[in-house]
Amino acid sequence: MKIARVIKNLDYLLLGAVGLILVMGLFVLDSATVNASVKYNMSFVYRQIAWIVVGLIVFIVVLFVDYSKLSKYGVHIYVLNLLLLLAVLIFGEETNGAQAWIPIGPYKIQPAEIVKALLILGLAQFLAPRIGKLNTFKDLIPVFIYVGVPLLLILKQPDLGTGLVYVAIMFGMLLVAGASPLLLFSLIGGGIGIIVLAIYGHYAWDWWIPLKDYQLMRLVVFVDPMIDPHYTGWNVIQSQIAVGSGGLLGKGWGMGSQNINDFLPVQWTDFIFCVLAEEFGFIGSAILLLLFFVVIYRGIIIARKSKDTYGSLIAVGVVSMIIFHVLQNIGMTIGIMPITGIPLPFVSYGGSSLLANMMVLGLLMNVYIYHDQRIF
Amino acid sequence: MSNSIKMKKQIGYIFLTIVIMLIALVIRLFWVQFVMGEELRQKAFAVRFRNVEVKAKRGIIYDTKGRSLAISISTDSFYAIPAQVKKSKKEKDIANKIAGALDIDENDVLNKITKSQAFVWIQRHVPEEKAQKLKSLELPGISFVEEPERFYPKDKLLANVLGFSGIDNQGLNGVEISYDKVLRGISGTIMVEYDAKGQEIPDALQKYVAPQDGNSIYLTIDETIQYIVERELDEIVKVSNPKKAGAIVMDPKTGRILAMAMRPTFSSNDYQNYDQSLWRNFLISDAYEPGSTFKTVTMSGALDEGVVKLNDRFYCGGFIKVGKEKIKCWKLSPGHGSQTFVEGVQNSCNPVFVTLGLREGVDVFYRYLYGFGFGKKTGIELPGEAIGILVGKKRCKEIDLATMSIGQANAVTPIQLVTACAAMANDGKLMKPQIVEKIQDNKGNIVKTVEPEVVRQVIAPETAHQVMDILELVVSNGTGKNAYVEGYRVGGKTGTAQKIIPGGGYSKTEYVGSFLGVAPVNDPKLVCLVVVDTPEGIYYGGTVAAPAFRNIIRDSLRYLQVPAQVEPDKISGNNKESLYLPNLVGSNIKDAVNTLANNKIKVDVLGDGTTVKMQLPLANTKVLEGSKVVLYTSVPAGDGEPELIVIPDLTGKNVGEVKELTKMLNLNFKIRGSGIVIRQEPEPGERVQVGGELMVFMGPKLENSVQQLGP
Repeated sequence: MKIARVIKNLDYLLLGAVGLILVMGLFVLDSATVNASVKYNMSFVYRQIAWIVVGLIVFIVVLFVDYSKLSKYGVHIYVLNLLLLLAVLIFGEETNGAQAWIPIGPYKIQPAEIVKALLILGLAQFLAPRIGKLNTFKDLIPVFIYVGVPLLLILKQPDLGTGLVYVAIMFGMLLVAGASPLLLFSLIGGGIGIIVLAIYGHYAWDWWIPLKDYQLMRLVVFVDPMIDPHYTGWNVIQSQIAVGSGGLLGKGWGMGSQNINDFLPVQWTDFIFCVLAEEFGFIGSAILLLLFFVVIYRGIIIARKSKDTYGSLIAVGVVSMIIFHVLQNIGMTIGIMPITGIPLPFVSYGGSSLLANMMVLGLLMNVYIYHDQRIF
Repeated sequence: MSNSIKMKKQIGYIFLTIVIMLIALVIRLFWVQFVMGEELRQKAFAVRFRNVEVKAKRGIIYDTKGRSLAISISTDSFYAIPAQVKKSKKEKDIANKIAGALDIDENDVLNKITKSQAFVWIQRHVPEEKAQKLKSLELPGISFVEEPERFYPKDKLLANVLGFSGIDNQGLNGVEISYDKVLRGISGTIMVEYDAKGQEIPDALQKYVAPQDGNSIYLTIDETIQYIVERELDEIVKVSNPKKAGAIVMDPKTGRILAMAMRPTFSSNDYQNYDQSLWRNFLISDAYEPGSTFKTVTMSGALDEGVVKLNDRFYCGGFIKVGKEKIKCWKLSPGHGSQTFVEGVQNSCNPVFVTLGLREGVDVFYRYLYGFGFGKKTGIELPGEAIGILVGKKRCKEIDLATMSIGQANAVTPIQLVTACAAMANDGKLMKPQIVEKIQDNKGNIVKTVEPEVVRQVIAPETAHQVMDILELVVSNGTGKNAYVEGYRVGGKTGTAQKIIPGGGYSKTEYVGSFLGVAPVNDPKLVCLVVVDTPEGIYYGGTVAAPAFRNIIRDSLRYLQVPAQVEPDKISGNNKESLYLPNLVGSNIKDAVNTLANNKIKVDVLGDGTTVKMQLPLANTKVLEGSKVVLYTSVPAGDGEPELIVIPDLTGKNVGEVKELTKMLNLNFKIRGSGIVIRQEPEPGERVQVGGELMVFMGPKLENSVQQLGP
């Protein structure tokens, strides 16, 4: 009985858009891993399909738990978050200079990805009673602390990109929770201003800044990649060459020279959009963006239609998370964002990321299914 | 306003913000893909191609008659593409086979072909036979390119002028460097597609841009005259074993250098194994005090300026006083006594020339000095030309003028001296000395012809003719008798100068003997300077240098078919009788010499034995009267009589044919280059012993690779 209702109330437009994104992602992934699949002797595509299946199970499980019942477990969820992040710092494996992975059997999971979904749930619960009471900076301080603790843990790994996702989720949800847009945007603006000033000060007056050299270089080459074209600037330059050389229709599936010849860094994860743009051109890129727009649009609709503010907050958190990923991931390949390693949702290869995205998609769908109380 | 309504409004803001950001993203994407697209597409293309240079063939250097002096032969250079080698998974097997074929260390090969590089040379310029062996193995990931290698078919001939070029085809000395840009050509490229790690992709795109071969150069040098000069220098070395000896032959009417050679010398093919000092062309790079040969300059100036008449009388008491100093004549007291000007020149009398110099005075003397090109580079297009050292005009005192007049105090280069003398032989017109006659592009078109260049009129034509007449008298009656050539009117001047000791003063033991001359004086064809630095024993120029000068002039004039002017019947080879040589092997050496002498054949006897063991040319060879036969009283190598084999002409044959022929003739052979035979050593018609070695040089089929032999 319940299954029938759930099926009947699904947002098929949203589901369809995500499904198409997943399919597109698999095609691009196949092309992006021509060399890597030989090198690592495994099929990335089959593995990704396996993860999609696991993700679907997670999605379905999440669907059948009425989100409103989760609000009671806000503290538990928060503690779980912190435990997960602490576990990474204690048991994590270091890869590429960041301690972000916990090995489980033959697989490795990235708890920071799962924490994104759980943070949305927890923060929604944390903010719901504060709606309308977030008018001053002082009112925001508890929220900053709430997000700040996991944020510090994630920066400790260090994983700046995911940290920024947390911040984006927080700002999105704060906005909906009634915090003054002016205050929020001036905080964001002020934050960026301080960073710019700090970096300038670092070079001009040798100020200390809490950034590692490679992180700093990423920001520097964002301004001018030719300062270090063969090392830190390489990604900036090569990804733009890939995207730009795609043109209107692209070079064709599996024909991208930047991709095939491995000029792109880890093109099956963070730089997968380059492969899409190089091989399928502006048309392919625009279709993907349109699909993401549909996802975002449906997310916004769901947020508005939610039966309660808790649901709205969850929906907006999900939307913030996805849109930040999209803007940041694509933005860095076309030179409007600094390079930070965060994946393109539903497209980049990676189980943890896919699970987290399927989980938040489940949450979103959950909010939609239960928005009309009359049906239950 | 309820929370819910406010919230919906806030959600609207969020949506709006997101839409704006998405639009910004799309605009930027559009910008990158369309506006920057073309530029980035080119970058994407450029970024994945890397160039492997393909060296162009250096142009050929010919002599004036088109005989090749420096050629480029193709050799095979082998390289590995480690990515492909590794892909085959037979690295060890491949290394083993390569090592076997090239006869090199297997581990070295293995290291090379498995390097994490896109491209590795295994061995460059691989000898033909090994190359064939390796090619036939057809190993995966192993390829070869034709790389040109410079080869000098005449080896040591003209080495100091030609110079040489290095392994990367770059000119390093001589004409090779001064005309490097012309000869070098334009390198081609193999553009190979690479991935980001710089590894060549197996079966990747390759784009080949063929190299453009360099232009060829025709030198003004005539190989035959050069050969004559080199031969005479060898003779000088044999007779007086000097520290150095050199000679230049110039065509006075054009300034073209016909020959330039020196001893000791080196081999252009094997330059690394010679001391660097031997690479030097001292005839243009080193200045020396020329001594009496320079008196030609003093005389020309004095006659042209009118400070002396042919019949002016001079007195030589063995010295002349200049201020407080005494300048000695080479013929000490009582000296030459009373003599006319012309006699003074014939005697090379120092007081006469000192007097001329003093009569001219500093200004006039320097005018002619500069006029003849001293104190300045002649501008010959060879590297490293020296200026020489002149006494500064401003601080030139009377005594300096006096010593300069007899060829001391000033240091000049041999090329300056020859060029000056050529002006006297060329109606007083100083020509710029030239070494290159024309440049031909690789399609055979002449792209540049170097025209003779008059620098200036130094002395009046009448003066020049007077100088020629006087110089002829020096040879016919004076100190230059040894330079006399039957049948031709030769003019010249001896020179014997004490060498300057580094640190000051003149050496008592070291001299430079030289001879500077012109022939024929009535219509000068050749100017030649022979310099012999520190000969052992007799050092007078008239003794150590004049005979070489004579032989050079005589043989060159005959070679150039300059009609004889005196006693034509005696020098014409056509009137000579020819005969067949008898077999002299086994006969007594004295009898053999007599037999030959009776037939007007010259003899060279090698060895101390009493019986003739071997003769060259062999019995029954047709020879002309006056030609030379070599009799060996001991056989150079081996026992008994060696069987001699006449070398066939292999030109145009391929490797297989060469193998077959040499096998038939019982000869060993070595191959350089690939293609068809363009030259061989020894040359066709020469005789070698059984089992002797034949060297063949192979190159591409070229029309001009067939050598033109001089008359």
